[in-house]
Amino acid sequence: MVAKRKNRISMLLLILCSIGLVFTYLTINVDPRFYDFAMMLRRPKMIGMILAAFCIGTASIAFQSVINNYIVTPCLLGMNSLYILTNTVVAFTLGTYHPMFMNANVSFITNVVIMSVAATIIYGFMFRVTNYNVLYVLLSGTVMATLFGSISSSLMRMIDPNEYLTLQANLIAGFNNVNSDIIVMAVAMIVATIVLFYRDIKLLDVITLGKNQAINLGVDYDKTISRILLAVAIFISIATALVGPISFLGLILANVARQMFLTFKHSYLMMGSFLVGVVILLFGQTLIEHVFNFSTVISVFINLFGGGYFLYLIVKNKGA
Amino acid sequence: MVIRNLTKAYGDKVVVNNVSFEIPQGKVISLIGPNGAGKSTVLNMVTRLTPRDSGEIEFFGKDIKDWKSKELSKKLAILTQINHIQMKLTVKELVGFGRFPYSGSRLTEHDHKKVAEAIKYMELDEFEDRFIDQLSGGQRQRAYIAMVIAQDTDYVFLDEPTNNLDIYHASNMMQIARRLCDELGKTVVLVLHEINFASTYSDYIGAFKDGYLRIFGTVEEVMTQEVLKDLYNVDFEIMEINGKPISIHY
Amino acid sequence: MIRKYRLAIILAVILFVLSFLSLFVGVLDITPILKGDFEAFEIVLISRLPRLMAIICTGVGMSIAGLIMQQLCMNKFVSPTTGATIASAQLGRLLAMLVFTGTTLAQQTLMSFAFALLGTWIFVWLIQTIKFKDVIMVPLIGIMFSNVIGGVTSYFAYKYNMTQALSAILVGDFSLIIRGRYEIVYLIVPLVIIAYIYANHFNIVGMGENFAKNLGVNYNRMMFFGLSIAALITASIVVIVGTISYIGLIVPNIVSMFRGDKIQGSLVEVGLVGAIFVLICDVIGRLIIFPYELPIDLVAGVIGSILFLGIMYRRLRVPKPKIRVEGR
Repeated sequence: MVAKRKNRISMLLLILCSIGLVFTYLTINVDPRFYDFAMMLRRPKMIGMILAAFCIGTASIAFQSVINNYIVTPCLLGMNSLYILTNTVVAFTLGTYHPMFMNANVSFITNVVIMSVAATIIYGFMFRVTNYNVLYVLLSGTVMATLFGSISSSLMRMIDPNEYLTLQANLIAGFNNVNSDIIVMAVAMIVATIVLFYRDIKLLDVITLGKNQAINLGVDYDKTISRILLAVAIFISIATALVGPISFLGLILANVARQMFLTFKHSYLMMGSFLVGVVILLFGQTLIEHVFNFSTVISVFINLFGGGYFLYLIVKNKGA
Repeated sequence: MVIRNLTKAYGDKVVVNNVSFEIPQGKVISLIGPNGAGKSTVLNMVTRLTPRDSGEIEFFGKDIKDWKSKELSKKLAILTQINHIQMKLTVKELVGFGRFPYSGSRLTEHDHKKVAEAIKYMELDEFEDRFIDQLSGGQRQRAYIAMVIAQDTDYVFLDEPTNNLDIYHASNMMQIARRLCDELGKTVVLVLHEINFASTYSDYIGAFKDGYLRIFGTVEEVMTQEVLKDLYNVDFEIMEINGKPISIHY
Repeated sequence: MIRKYRLAIILAVILFVLSFLSLFVGVLDITPILKGDFEAFEIVLISRLPRLMAIICTGVGMSIAGLIMQQLCMNKFVSPTTGATIASAQLGRLLAMLVFTGTTLAQQTLMSFAFALLGTWIFVWLIQTIKFKDVIMVPLIGIMFSNVIGGVTSYFAYKYNMTQALSAILVGDFSLIIRGRYEIVYLIVPLVIIAYIYANHFNIVGMGENFAKNLGVNYNRMMFFGLSIAALITASIVVIVGTISYIGLIVPNIVSMFRGDKIQGSLVEVGLVGAIFVLICDVIGRLIIFPYELPIDLVAGVIGSILFLGIMYRRLRVPKPKIRVEGR
């Protein structure tokens, strides 16, 4: 009972923090004369960050529960390498003046579609071949990711240096490309994914009991986990297309949430992980814009910090 | 439940070979045999955890594979060796999962009553709000049994329930299995390593070796020097204590 | 006696024939050499022969580094790629290029080596620390750890505007190998000989600390020694050729399929198969879009990942013996 009350308090605190940061981010250092202009710049970025936090936060919790290990992140699915590969191939074959680069909307939708379709085909195939052995699926995924990486680097060597700069600007995560059209598309896709996979996501609580227990309770385990992983891959695709590759964010979010909320209920954990994401991203972005004056990008911070956190987790929990 | 010509092979290695037997209702049945004899594999196939290669498993007039998994989970429960769960899950919540086949994640009044009964039956009242990773091995085992009780099935399958328990908790476990049958009228099927637990607490024994079912019969039929020597390649003495055959080997 | 070495001899002959043939693949025609043309001979000496030697050293080196790491960690999925060795060596090389202006190959090798050693050591320490000893979890952790190191690398590259240069040095490629710029790969020769001498020790260390102690082998020292050899081999290849994934992973697995896991028995074959594999990949890369060539990393990556998936699924179909974990 103590745990339950603690969970409620943590949730309340997180909600308050998020709301506070939303207001801070929107209003800090705003010149009242240019209020409307500032809002026009800041609002889409802020919504983009919230959406990314939602996708990465919930997907990471689901991913860890399916793998039954708390030091893994969905970056093992190789969506980052796929994103880099897609962009590199387009830059190499069509050039960076193609709408795919110049038009943020086209770029967003192409990326999400390509990544989701590729993930569905590749992972669907691997689940069947490995007879639903999820660890082998992941290992194959990382092999593919390395292969995509080799192809991208080989192509990058041959790209004209000027075009490369454009490509690179696209690849480094940032929220600057987010606009209202993209937000609408992203929200639509997120809702569609949730509706499509709602029944599987609801089974997450039971899935964490382990394969045998889940089957004993009448769950079609293999089908369910493969569908959940697919949903995770789509969520990560949306997030990556929104803000670029920020692989280690998920590790931080999921683990902080699990530490704050002493429960197995995924509705709680996912909500918590999402809010932690909102807090971290908004806080980080505010710092970068107003303290570091845009001298760095948030993804670099997140990956470095997340990497350190990963090592800390292994050493502290001994990987359990 | 009737099992006919059950077979399973991994690659070239046949681990279960043409096994047929019938599980009598309302009894305690133990499956024994040396390591790698195929007894756990049989248990897993019977409870649909492992797909079979060939054979039939008839359950209430219908083959197991024709049952809807969810319907089946209201009729039979399987508890494999406890897998370590690192979730923050209280005893009450774990037992609550036993009601999942009936009500999903949202428990009704009736479900809560069933859960409370199961916890009481397993004498876990004082632990019900503890997280399961804070329990001792014996307590955790009882929590899982409580979940199976809450699942309210006619058949209960337990895979090596005494594994990793000390003598006190192991014999306690066997008494619980007996009570599930005598007091709650369930059919209990266990895979056991301890021959004497099998002989003391069960009604029937199935003895496996090298993937074959060597013999299936009452305790008295199986607990003979010849059968045990054939199974384990060790000489046994059989003695009678409190009307139960007890084997001694050295 | 002959029977014991038959496989090795066959492999050596194949390698020799392929090597000879590969000398004739290239933009400039060197068949006049057969008539005693001196100019063609020069081409061979400056470019073709160094390339061939680099290829052989790379193949032998990477696959033996992989074999050593697999033995020491007792895990078939560990290799310089999945054990963070390559990622750390890359970081070392990049830092060398940033720290020393006009950096020499020797400086780069030294920095690469230092980082490769450190990275591999941390990785082994991590997997020894974790309780969760699933066979597949170990390489997955290695890959995540590699991502961490890769993150640091790209941070520096981004900060000093070197990302495109970085992608250039990341890709393994033999086309830039010429006389005077590749000799560091010969470091591999003595290292491989040392590996051969200590092969049995690595095997024993792989069986575990207590097992090693019982046989009077200093576990920590041999572990460190073995990892150092693997790291040094990897570092010199990363500096001269660039990154080539999977050779260290696949070749030992292929050989152990028909040769067993005793390291001393299979070391020679692993090296030979590695060299043949890289040579074939190189020739394919040179022929496929002739007169241009594809980088070896790409060709080996494509062929290697397909082979690797094949090996994995084969392993999956053969059941693992049921091992009972005691006293958990």
